Amino acid sequence: MIWEPLKLSLLVVAMATLIIATVGLALGVLLAKGRFRGQEVLAAFFTLPLVLPPTVTGYYLIVLLGRHGLLGEPIYNITGWTIAFTWQAAVIAATVLALPLMVLSARAAIEGVNPQYEIASYTLGKRPLETFFRITLPLARRGILAGVVLSFTRALGEFGATFMLAGNIPGRTQTMPLAIYEAVISGEDKRAQVLALVLTGISVAAVYLTSKLTKGALRY
Amino acid sequence: MQVDIRKRLDSDKSLNFDLDVTFSAAAGITILFGPSGSGKTTTLRAIAGIITPDEGRIRIGEQSYFDSAAGIDLSIQERRVGYVFQDYALFPHLTAEQNVMYGSKARTDALKGEEGRAMLALFKIEHVRHRYPQNMSGGEQQRIALARALASDPAIVLLDEPLSAVDFETRSGLLDEIAAAQGRVGIPFIYVTHNTAEAVRLGTQAVVLDRGKVRTTGPPSEVFVTNS
Repeated sequence: MIWEPLKLSLLVVAMATLIIATVGLALGVLLAKGRFRGQEVLAAFFTLPLVLPPTVTGYYLIVLLGRHGLLGEPIYNITGWTIAFTWQAAVIAATVLALPLMVLSARAAIEGVNPQYEIASYTLGKRPLETFFRITLPLARRGILAGVVLSFTRALGEFGATFMLAGNIPGRTQTMPLAIYEAVISGEDKRAQVLALVLTGISVAAVYLTSKLTKGALRY
Repeated sequence: MQVDIRKRLDSDKSLNFDLDVTFSAAAGITILFGPSGSGKTTTLRAIAGIITPDEGRIRIGEQSYFDSAAGIDLSIQERRVGYVFQDYALFPHLTAEQNVMYGSKARTDALKGEEGRAMLALFKIEHVRHRYPQNMSGGEQQRIALARALASDPAIVLLDEPLSAVDFETRSGLLDEIAAAQGRVGIPFIYVTHNTAEAVRLGTQAVVLDRGKVRTTGPPSEVFVTNS
């Protein structure tokens, strides 16, 4: 009875985490290493979903991607398909809501690498790109991995924006948090309990993993 | 090599004067001597290309590294400087051997391995080959830093107070090794220190800096006898 939402949540979170890990890392690098106009505006923009109520972010996602949305309408006119109320919409919602955690962690991790190591690499004849992959990235990897795990847990718990954009359709868009909500309001206490415990278990395991990654034995 | 550079440093809070440094260094070890904050490290960083002077020239042999009049400013990578940083800046996630061979230009892994073993043997650090920097003594880290700088086939070696983090007993041996390394490779070394004993023991010539200007140049034995 919990398989449908569990399976869906894992699919949605796996997809979201994959996107977040790559896009979030790229944005973190850009914000840590870039020197360009509007840099902090861009940083603030990607941090916004962290401070906005999820329903507000969800509302903006509808305005953007809904069937009559800024992007959603032309997509619908061309393909006859709309993302609203699909499992892909749940992926988008989870991605947008959890991305800030990855961007912030990755940026802080990369900025935290002592620039002396990069300069040393340059004096040894290595170009910035090779230096980034051989020095900066390995030295920042703990913070980057912590960011991945944190965004994973945030994506797993996503409720508000998912409800707005993807709805609450059992078997299609009803992820674990939505299934818990539904079980509670329809009085299925046993189901709510099991779902809540499973979700807690996954989150606790993830947080434990994060603390191991960030405070683990320093061996490099 | 010739250095003739000027740089305004008013943005740098630690140095409240302008750098205006002119000196030439022949083969051997040139000591850049002066109190803390006299512009020694800034001069080294300008030679390495880490900072850019406002104007002037830097030449090593026939190669022009920097020439504001001719619009020449080689990148750090193109300058081929072996830089031994004050805190060594050994890569903490690489072993001693990986650190030493990081800048090696050996083509194949086999050649690299051979070169690495030879380098470690030369500096008597084979026993720490697979260790990470945080598991080494200050003297071992210092040797790794020097070996790493030399393994990148540099045209010049810059050492920024390389013994400041090493205990007193280890210093003497390391000074001999630095002198021996210079003798082997034959390229100019520039050695920053504010320790007269190190300067006299190691230097073929000394350049004394004070508040960003060159005060004296000459053989260390003369420069430091008249100073003290």
